[in-house]
Amino acid sequence: MNPNWNLWMRQTWAVMRLEIGKSFFSKRGLWIYLLAFAPIVIWGGHSYEVMERGEDRQKMAQRSPGVTRQKMAMITDEMSKERILAILGPPARQQSFGRRHPVQIMRWSDGKAEFIVRFRDGELENISLREGCSFEEDSTVFAAIFQFFYLRLAIFWGCVFVFMNLFRGEMLDKSLHYYFLAPIRREVVVAGKFGAGLLATGVIFGVSIALQFAGMNLHFPKETVDQYFSQGHAIQHLLSYIGVSILACAGYGSAFLVGGILLRNPLIPAGVLLLWESINGILPAILRKFSVIYYLKVLSPVAIPLDKGVPGPLAMLAFGTDPVSTPVAIIGVFGLALVLLVVAAWRSRSMEISYAAE
Amino acid sequence: MDNEIIFDNVSKFYGEVLGVNRVALSIPPGITSLVGPNGSGKTTLMNLMTGLIQPTRGSITVRGMSPKDPENFFRTVGYCSQFDSYPKGFTGYQFVYSFLRLFGITHAEANDKAWAAIQRVGLEEAAKRKIAGYSKGMRQRIKLAQALSSDPQVLVLDEPLNGLDPLVRAETIALFREFATAGRHLILSSHVLHEVDIISDQVILMAAGYVVAEGQIRAVREEIEDHPMQILIRCQQPQRLASRLFEHDHVVEVKVHSDGGGLLVKTKSADRFYLLMNEIAAGNIDIETVAPVDDDVNSVYGYLIGSEEPTR
Repeated sequence: MNPNWNLWMRQTWAVMRLEIGKSFFSKRGLWIYLLAFAPIVIWGGHSYEVMERGEDRQKMAQRSPGVTRQKMAMITDEMSKERILAILGPPARQQSFGRRHPVQIMRWSDGKAEFIVRFRDGELENISLREGCSFEEDSTVFAAIFQFFYLRLAIFWGCVFVFMNLFRGEMLDKSLHYYFLAPIRREVVVAGKFGAGLLATGVIFGVSIALQFAGMNLHFPKETVDQYFSQGHAIQHLLSYIGVSILACAGYGSAFLVGGILLRNPLIPAGVLLLWESINGILPAILRKFSVIYYLKVLSPVAIPLDKGVPGPLAMLAFGTDPVSTPVAIIGVFGLALVLLVVAAWRSRSMEISYAAE
Repeated sequence: MDNEIIFDNVSKFYGEVLGVNRVALSIPPGITSLVGPNGSGKTTLMNLMTGLIQPTRGSITVRGMSPKDPENFFRTVGYCSQFDSYPKGFTGYQFVYSFLRLFGITHAEANDKAWAAIQRVGLEEAAKRKIAGYSKGMRQRIKLAQALSSDPQVLVLDEPLNGLDPLVRAETIALFREFATAGRHLILSSHVLHEVDIISDQVILMAAGYVVAEGQIRAVREEIEDHPMQILIRCQQPQRLASRLFEHDHVVEVKVHSDGGGLLVKTKSADRFYLLMNEIAAGNIDIETVAPVDDDVNSVYGYLIGSEEPTR
């Protein structure tokens, strides 16, 4: 038989048109939006807090003029209160509490960093310098949220819901026969449903990443952001995160599409896959390759520093992977997705409509 | 053979539960009714015929095509299933139109065909309303419109008359008759035996997963030897006629009708009986009508399937 690609493309699009609405606007899918957009709230809150703190430090700097970073650096643990006050001048803010052992906290600011000195019984107890937010710091936190929360929980469980329900949901709704009674190859139905799921999750999680990125940069001065976008790696980072999100949707989506066809209870395969992905870093090298996260880690634009302070479970999740080139990583995820889709298509050919058994 | 529906020794088991067993059928064009009690295997047979389930043993071809090749198969076959569920939020029009788009045809063509099918089942006014608000009868009709929309050569209908009011039921039966002309297949299942009688060219009687009998109902009736044929004869001199009939060994019972205007006769050979009636009619007994009374689906069903009455 001659492959009729033109017809199959039209039919795939017809299936996608039917499925896109379901994937985007399912009432039961509300929590996908909650998962996807939760980090935006975190970054929005963070930016708001940083901006508030920045304004506060500006006010403090006005109250204690002449305080500079050099003067702050001159303060050492051995100094007396008088000596400190002589260098920094009167504090912009101070608090006192306690009767038997009175504690006094003094604060200065140069408008950016905050310098805090704590006295107990008139003796210097502690000094600390709180810096303002930096791109490096926020970028690292962004990468950590992306890897630990976004990829492993939000996208993972979002894909569980969307892709697992493409066939399974219609079995439960008793409406799958609508497709199976049309002159359309089952493989085309699989392709159309997968395309719709990928489009929906790609848009939801991609838009969320873009908004998170905007949220992260909201508190930086305009000229700094402009410089980051014009001379730094902002666009490259943003596109990488969106690309990794879409690849994750393709990889996990294909796995859950197969799960929805083969299995009745979606939570068991999802749990097993989550475990598999979580222990990927400690698996033998050959087994690591059969994982979506293995390739996605390579593609993440910002690496998470693994110092001794990182707790054990997180260190395991962020465990460095063997070096794989970007093209290999992209082909790896798509290859894995393709293999899974072939399995789904093959299995769909022998699928039966047996609603009573559901 | 390429214009028949062929079941070649087909069995279907759901685990250890029997669906249908050793079904061997060749269904010619025309209207064929599947008749049997609940659980007899009618829907299983239809689902097998359309590839929604697959046989455990045997094979099925519909006009030379296998249900395993849906891309070509469903350009010839339309199935109005018993499943009463629809893609969420669809209007009647969307239900038919979106189905047609799955054929890979253009918007304009799908639109025209959808409206033509909707018009055929008389649902134009309700077409833009959501199916969720439809009555049972309207849902049946929109499913029928969907099955008819691609102008198939084979139409399979599972209980298509359920929920229809008498007027729509009559219109739908006329639609079936119109469809079944020009060598097309119409396969339907029904519990309403007198309608099956009116509609069908042939019947397939099923019980407990087996095909009990198949063919034209009169031919099936003639093969039931355990139950002699009953024939009602209207005449002026029933006693005289009765004495004539008793002279023949194929006549096993003769009763004078309760109104005294005829006889109810049981015979082991309908053919010989009708020849005899020709002779008698040529003689001096005035015979008004001769009509069989138990060669309908209801009687045949009762003789073959016995106490397992279909739901009415």
